[in-house]
Amino acid sequence: MKAEEIMVKKIEFIEADALVYDAIERMIDKRLRSLVVRPKEEKDTYGVITARDIVFKVIGKNLDVKKTKVDEIAEKPLICINRAMELEHIISLLKNYNISRAFVCDGVEVVGVVALLDVMGAALIQKAKGS
Amino acid sequence: MGIEKMLFGGKAEQKVLEKIKTHIRILWSASDCFHKALEERDRDLVYCVPDLEREGDSVRREIVSKIYEGAFLPFLRSSICRFVEIVDEAFDVLEDAAYEFENLNLQLDEEIEEDCIKIADINSKMCEMLLIAFETLFGKGDLREKNLAVRIYEKKVDEIKFDLLKKLRKKEIKNFWEGKTLADFISYLTHVSDVIEDASDYLTAIKISLK
Repeated sequence: MKAEEIMVKKIEFIEADALVYDAIERMIDKRLRSLVVRPKEEKDTYGVITARDIVFKVIGKNLDVKKTKVDEIAEKPLICINRAMELEHIISLLKNYNISRAFVCDGVEVVGVVALLDVMGAALIQKAKGS
Repeated sequence: MGIEKMLFGGKAEQKVLEKIKTHIRILWSASDCFHKALEERDRDLVYCVPDLEREGDSVRREIVSKIYEGAFLPFLRSSICRFVEIVDEAFDVLEDAAYEFENLNLQLDEEIEEDCIKIADINSKMCEMLLIAFETLFGKGDLREKNLAVRIYEKKVDEIKFDLLKKLRKKEIKNFWEGKTLADFISYLTHVSDVIEDASDYLTAIKISLK
């Protein structure tokens, strides 16, 4: 099973200079666990901000969510995979980088995301089809 | 003689089981046809759905007659008939979706088209999984695992449906019938997976009743 068959195309972007509070609001409203952070300037790259980042890097450290900017806690660069990457390689990549999601990129464009839950579902479907 | 052989091993039973597989295969073909019809906006492919629905209807009638001619023990007959009826319901919903798509002149707004095609693709994959699950019921393999796969697919459809409805609510309504046709189309398209999930759940119920 390839990344493009598993990926979720629902991706939300947020500006690098937005507040963490805005990110929280967006994640709760849209029931998302991560947001892709747009490059701050031309030379910059895409990043990602997750609920984990917000909890550990801001709330856990008693920082103000209305004063901290997304760019300050975002992980950069994005870990990108291509559409054709096979499930087993995606699992290895997530394991090796110790991350819970990888973004599917088409050139510089982010077109989808594959999270652990998607991998789990895909693996179960593959097993159900094969056995 | 094992219990499976005693319950499903007779000639009449085997005939019915083969016909039920054919019934599900036709549903799979119809779903596939509809998926391609959405992708290619092809009227002929849309018409293949009601054609296959009629074919499915005729297979369903044969199955029911064979069962009431004496295939299977009486306690199993109603359950198997019910399963076939649920599959038939999936045909009906798919056919309704195809008619509504035709009423939309095979045109979907750019912002919802991709989601609709994705749902149609998942519906088709669910039919394939339902067939695998059915083969497991009377053969080897873990039915629970197949049922879970069907549920995973259904959950994906639900997620896309949630987004689709959000997009639809933002859409400006220009005339009543256009809005109703589109709403009905989405409703039928997203209901197919519910019915297939029901059919898969029913297989699990039959399996439990055999223990």
